[in-house]
Amino acid sequence: MSATELTVRVKVREAAWLSTFQDLGREHSEFMGVPCGGAADQHSASVANILVGNRRTATCIEIMGGRFTFTPADPVLMAVTGAPADVTVNGQPVALWEPLCVPGGALITIENARGGMRNYLAFSGTLATGRFMGSAAPEARMGFPQQIAVGQDLELCTLYAGFEHPYLSQPLFRLPVPVPAFGGGTWSIDIVEGPETDAAPGIRELLSSRAYTVTAKSNHVGLRLDGPVIHPEGLGEIVSHGVPIGAFEIPHGDELIILGRYRTLTAGYPIVAFAAKASLPLLGQARPGQTMTFRWVSHADAVERYREEQRQLQMLEDRARSLFLAVNLPHASAGNPPEQTAA
Amino acid sequence: MLKVAAADAGERESGSRRLREILLDERPHGLIDVVAGVDSLLVEFDCLAVSHGQLAQTIRLAVAGSGLERDEQERSAALFIIPVVVSAAYSPDLPEVAEELGISQEAVLRIMEDSELSINLLASAMAPMMGTVRFPGQVSRCKEPRTNVDSGSVMVAGTSAIIQPFPGPTGWKVIGRTPLTVCDIREEPATSYLPGDRVRFRIIPASDWQGLVGQFLRPAGSVAPEQAQTRKVS
Repeated sequence: MSATELTVRVKVREAAWLSTFQDLGREHSEFMGVPCGGAADQHSASVANILVGNRRTATCIEIMGGRFTFTPADPVLMAVTGAPADVTVNGQPVALWEPLCVPGGALITIENARGGMRNYLAFSGTLATGRFMGSAAPEARMGFPQQIAVGQDLELCTLYAGFEHPYLSQPLFRLPVPVPAFGGGTWSIDIVEGPETDAAPGIRELLSSRAYTVTAKSNHVGLRLDGPVIHPEGLGEIVSHGVPIGAFEIPHGDELIILGRYRTLTAGYPIVAFAAKASLPLLGQARPGQTMTFRWVSHADAVERYREEQRQLQMLEDRARSLFLAVNLPHASAGNPPEQTAA
Repeated sequence: MLKVAAADAGERESGSRRLREILLDERPHGLIDVVAGVDSLLVEFDCLAVSHGQLAQTIRLAVAGSGLERDEQERSAALFIIPVVVSAAYSPDLPEVAEELGISQEAVLRIMEDSELSINLLASAMAPMMGTVRFPGQVSRCKEPRTNVDSGSVMVAGTSAIIQPFPGPTGWKVIGRTPLTVCDIREEPATSYLPGDRVRFRIIPASDWQGLVGQFLRPAGSVAPEQAQTRKVS
């Protein structure tokens, strides 16, 4: 590639309640006792990067609550995904879930997230940041907070140097973007049975017939839900064992915990269900007060839904790649074979 | 989650450690990561790359080929000698532990010093979980878990010991504190111990604390390569 890489300064003016560098998380870290972590809503984080021609695993920014505003010194290609929110460029409303060509010096505002908890902001190129065990994802407990502060200058290495559409001032990219439904009201979450489902007689009927409410004690370690529970019986003291993301634990109190990506890796509580993998991104967006119902599905159905979700992402990735290469926008795979052949 | 089918807890524990080694060596297709439990192993895999049944089959074949019984001493386990200060402030649960075990506080500490422990697994935030402390009985967990225990705290439960690498909540009983830093993400790797390594605790006088505080834990006999090196701050 002959294109020259530019370093663009991005000045953060307002940093929301919490904004951090983020990516899809660590690989090969849990055998060492470090949870994979990474974007709570992996779907939105992946799509944000795909929409700007990055690899899905590239560093992006996770934004929670309040208002996030910034100004890039030079043109940037960016995308915002996640919860429905108001995004403006120099005061003009722009769409989420689309590649956006933003001129240098513009003021970009992301605010009023509703129906979900988190937004993801990706830029074409590489955001300069530290890494721990190969990932930019925060691991605050171990001293790697990755928090972005007001006034901070982000450094972006990008091949993007502006884009002029021949007919329209704002390019219209028609991409098959799988936008999740963040509808108001009660969410339906698919679940599969867990090792202690049968030790809690009646838990199947209970979980599938009642609504549960996310409480304010929830965080990236897990969602805590208010609602009826049945304590498994006759299990005795359970020896500490590894627990996966999405496990439904019933601790000694009357609450239900759905483990998130920053869970404590081992625990001794009974597991009465698991969230299906395709439901995890939505759970990563649940705010306090969100109500949800659960629907039992078979393992095969859970795998099938995940396969379908990944197929849609792959299709988006292929289309974005063709488009970017056709109109001469930078793409992470340019000059390299498509990603599937890499391994 | 996999468990070794054995009635004996010790066999299950060593079996699951061995299973972990086999899987990390072989890295079966589709394997993403593993999480060690006390006597089990959680296997995380890409369900689109390999089905549950296929992976289970691969693991059974790998175990059949390698055997679960291989002598664990084959791997050269490093020895760590960990200094511990015992004081009213650092050892809030020592009286209760002694009472529960029906022995004196001095006897509790002597047993801690006399037991050669083996790191079973790295628990949350790379905390080294070790067994077996030769207590005459089991130490129970705190009825009310503490919400914040300082880093370096040396804790016991059952017949296991653990060191708190970072401040945080725990239900383990706190009986001492090491001045050493056991985990530091600015080091590469962030800990110098691995499962299977051996540990001995050595009670030191509080006056030795200052000279050791903040030093990174390294195996006995090793020389810190960059004592004076400037630390990167991210």
